[in-house]
Amino acid sequence: MRRRILKPTDLGLRPTFEVRSETLPNGLKVLMVENSSVPAVSLNASVMAGARYDPEEKAGLALMVSRLLDEGTESRTSLEIAEAIESVGGSIDADGSFERIVVSAGVLNKDLDLGLELLADLLMRPVFPPEYVIKEKERTLSEIRSAKDRPQVVAGWAFNELVYQDHPLHRPSHGYPETVERITRDDLRAFHKQYFVPNNVILSIVGDFRAADLLPKIQKAFGSWPKEKLEFPTYPMPVRQTEKRQKFINMPAQQLNIYLGHLGVSRTNPDYYALQLMDTILGGGAGFTARIPQRLRDELGLAYTTFASITMTAGIDPGRFIAFIGTSPENQTLATQGLVNEIRRIIEEPVTKEELQDAKDYLTGSFVFAFESISQIARFLVHAEVYELGFDYVDKYPRYIRDITAEDITRVARKYLDSENYTLVVVGPVNGNDK
Amino acid sequence: MSSLVSPSVFAIEEVRRTVLDNGLVVLTKESHTSPIVTSMIWYKVGSRNEELGHTGKSHFLEHMLFKGTDRFKKGEIDLITLKNGGGNNAFTSHDFTAYYFNFASDRWDVALDIESDRMANCAFDLEEFEAEKKVVIEELKTSLDSPWGLLMQELEAGAFKVHPYRNPVVGWLQDVERATVEQQQAYYRRYYQPNNAILVIAGDFQTDHVLARVSKAFGSIPAGSPPSAMSLQEPPQRGERRLIVRWRSKVPRLSIAYHAPAIAHPDTYPLQVLAVVLAEGKASRMYQRMVEREQSVNFVSAEFGEAKDPTLFHIRSEARGEHSIDEIEASIYGELKNVIDNGVTPAELDRAKHQIEAHFILSRERTLDQAILLGQMESIGTLDYIDSYVRNIQSITAEQLADVCNRYLNENNRTVALLLSDGSKDTVDSEEADIEAD
Repeated sequence: MRRRILKPTDLGLRPTFEVRSETLPNGLKVLMVENSSVPAVSLNASVMAGARYDPEEKAGLALMVSRLLDEGTESRTSLEIAEAIESVGGSIDADGSFERIVVSAGVLNKDLDLGLELLADLLMRPVFPPEYVIKEKERTLSEIRSAKDRPQVVAGWAFNELVYQDHPLHRPSHGYPETVERITRDDLRAFHKQYFVPNNVILSIVGDFRAADLLPKIQKAFGSWPKEKLEFPTYPMPVRQTEKRQKFINMPAQQLNIYLGHLGVSRTNPDYYALQLMDTILGGGAGFTARIPQRLRDELGLAYTTFASITMTAGIDPGRFIAFIGTSPENQTLATQGLVNEIRRIIEEPVTKEELQDAKDYLTGSFVFAFESISQIARFLVHAEVYELGFDYVDKYPRYIRDITAEDITRVARKYLDSENYTLVVVGPVNGNDK
Repeated sequence: MSSLVSPSVFAIEEVRRTVLDNGLVVLTKESHTSPIVTSMIWYKVGSRNEELGHTGKSHFLEHMLFKGTDRFKKGEIDLITLKNGGGNNAFTSHDFTAYYFNFASDRWDVALDIESDRMANCAFDLEEFEAEKKVVIEELKTSLDSPWGLLMQELEAGAFKVHPYRNPVVGWLQDVERATVEQQQAYYRRYYQPNNAILVIAGDFQTDHVLARVSKAFGSIPAGSPPSAMSLQEPPQRGERRLIVRWRSKVPRLSIAYHAPAIAHPDTYPLQVLAVVLAEGKASRMYQRMVEREQSVNFVSAEFGEAKDPTLFHIRSEARGEHSIDEIEASIYGELKNVIDNGVTPAELDRAKHQIEAHFILSRERTLDQAILLGQMESIGTLDYIDSYVRNIQSITAEQLADVCNRYLNENNRTVALLLSDGSKDTVDSEEADIEAD
């Protein structure tokens, strides 16, 4: 039977769903939403530790932990894990970001028990087999080499180094070749022991099941996992630059990849919603309606890809304000100046009433697209828990947006954007040796 | 073999197919799980319809369709999308050009007005055309800065000698540079007609009401004379072709393409299952051999998709460390030979079928994904293809896998493209220049 899980309201259509939130005695947070729109279940376990906690000399540690979780547990080999999940057409993946390690699984509803069992096994009992540690290091080194072929990736790395300076986010999450070399199996096991504890994990499960039936199974799978005292490394907040920083990296290519920006904001910043509207007007939105794509792409024809955003990278740590353009070498000055001009304009001049209203209609109207699939809802639940948005966020969000004024936009643009003291990174044929 | 779930998860009986008097095919699929409606329009024109010296026209046209009509001025289509909190985009392939809007279901039908208007009334303003040409050229350059984008372009040009699948969808640079607004407009007139188009609407709406609305929006557009069929056929390949692309990278990459049949040919089903057995997931043969045991590659993939005309089966890989292309090629050919000589196990076959079926179910959650499936199959094949797809996959035997592996994935039928270093220095590490703050 199909259930209508969304309802219309005066503020536009938006999703409604009932979240069942439980905390097991060992501290594991469990969030469940029943949704029978497809005969499948999406599971998402987020361990609240990531590359931000990597020691500088061992950068890449958290990501390597995540990538070794499915390479062997106390009772299953790497191949047995792969065969178990693939033989039912399911998937199980682990990935690490700066702030969390996420193990996610997608299975048909009939295979939920298996999905849960594998998820628990990977989280609680990985063994980091020595031969896989060696393999994974080789693989990471090789992938870093491969990634360096992409000018946009190289530009992104250089940009982060200049923006974050000594803050942990200056590094790529996979680390550097020399830090990857240094990581040992003991490091991986110690990271797992320290952070993979139930009171540091959020488990969200969305799909075609009954929560009343599932909860005892979750208790059975995770109940024996002992709660531990948690300690996290501390580091100073990053500081926004007060001078211009620039880097030009020469690389034979068709285009220049230009990153321009500076330190941004964290997701819990109270001005986040005003900044989302500012992003929509300056560099995001639908099609090429925002100022930067409209001017630099649609009018001047400088680029296929150009955008700007400060909220896109906002997390527990402050993200970055990024304005990006990929353009032919002869356009370098025009493109860079074009980005700066639009940043300056939104700082100096108020946005029009119409721009603001359109941006509000866009954000509130398109909100529903973030909840279309069960895996999207599962990710949202973690997001809501980590950033303390509340599960009534779907009701509150349109109001947050509705209450922002044009003066708010100018205020936040002045507070969080800087058209003088920014970082500029240009990668490509900077000396004009187009190839 | 264990039983598969339900062959009718994406039941085609839920899709209504209507043909208007002017030939427009309308596919509607109601589903009320989310308050969203996706509307897509598909034109049966892509780079396969382009003539020598005029490549990239279908794709350029896709860009021009956003540049306005008499009724919707430049920028207005995006602005309407913004004001209504929606999303829009478009894509062009070898076989088709498709446009979509995603809107909440209380405001979606403005999409019908836009699509019906730009089916017949696209403005071809010279200034807009020249400005957009620059954008298209930047898009073309972006793909050439990607190692795989570049290698695929060269591979397709090498694997096909006659058939237009040899040309990149975005076009060859010189053709794009020389394109004129008059030619572009003529191309539009030839292919953008109701009788060469498919409208797909999926999501939260009432079918009868919507069909009446569609009829009103599109019914008055007259049918055109049907564009002549593209009749070029690729002659048989008579031996291995090898090509080398020199590039700045130090990481060798390899792409092998085998000629393979068009959509719905009986051999396409075992070829799809074979692709999964070979390289989908960590339990697959090539992953186990090349990534796990030999550790010679960063990844290996096997891909085979549906196309209107005979197409290519691709195997791609990227060398790890100092491992050579020769070694990687030998492993790939060794695994193919192993399938031919020794077959695949019942467990492997079973696993591959489950993977294909589960993917078929799990990848159709969003209305946009549903609309893409319907539009693609109607434009290059038939809707029946979707209906019988899982059943056809289920019926494949191990003998069929060995048979298609032998007949298609053989030396004489392959084009091997290598991306190798041009000998330039590692520019990132050695030539970076810091310019101090002013």
